[in-house]
Amino acid sequence: MARLNDDAQWIVLMGFIVSFALFFIAILINQSTIVGQTTAEAVSEFPKTDIREVRGMIIQSEFLGDENDKTNVQREIRNLSLSRHNAVVEFSSSPPAGSDPYTHIEMHYNNGVTAYNETWRSE
Amino acid sequence: MVNADGQLYTIEGVAAALILLLTAYIVVNSTSVYTMGDTHISDMQLEVVGDDALKMMNTAPNSSVEKTSLRTIIETGDAVQFQEMFDSIVNAKTGTGRDRIQFMANVTYERSDGTVGDVPLGASSHIFTGREHAVRVTEWVIVDSPCPLCSDVTSGKHAVLVEALVWRD
Repeated sequence: MARLNDDAQWIVLMGFIVSFALFFIAILINQSTIVGQTTAEAVSEFPKTDIREVRGMIIQSEFLGDENDKTNVQREIRNLSLSRHNAVVEFSSSPPAGSDPYTHIEMHYNNGVTAYNETWRSE
Repeated sequence: MVNADGQLYTIEGVAAALILLLTAYIVVNSTSVYTMGDTHISDMQLEVVGDDALKMMNTAPNSSVEKTSLRTIIETGDAVQFQEMFDSIVNAKTGTGRDRIQFMANVTYERSDGTVGDVPLGASSHIFTGREHAVRVTEWVIVDSPCPLCSDVTSGKHAVLVEALVWRD
């Protein structure tokens, strides 16, 4: 009966090490392509400027002198956000009353992926 | 005849086959997600450039000027002015050459009957065909109506949205 030959075990061990190293390098290559993509995708999908702008517009609209202009502009903010940014924008304000000298605006932005809520107070 | 010789070699062979299969699987899999990770990064940068340009145009140069350039452009319907201004801002580049950014801009507004309409505001020399890999940038403006671009709205102040498709060719 042929005996199990245990010569050259170092070579076998090295073979194993090299193949596992190759295996891990393959995993690294596999993951590295996704990294740049997911990062950039996350950045471009997050509606940073949309939120910032609509927030500015809501605050600006709150201080329009004419009541009719204010109603129009605020309706248009809601309507255009829904139709062009695919975002539901809702807001309401409470003017200074009693001992509270500030205007408060409650804003909600939701485009299905990102939701943003804020209660703004005039300084 | 079945015997128990060479079992280590058999195990090694199976292990090697598994490693090869796994490696091949990972390599094939990695080529399938190789959808140019770079395009997303340049999209992101293009979006920032376009957005900044619109923001600059929608900022009054100093406190004594009441209306921003963008607002004046929309209120007068001056497409040529928009074209020149946006073009020079987005294509500004260090050195002598200019960048290759092209654009097409629309103004979106709400008509008096409640529907949403849009009119072209200006475009660069290369016409948008629909095949370009474009990104969209937007800017809100409050304008005095009626203006030549959005004639079918009631008078008074209105919120309109400037949308620009920006691409590099």
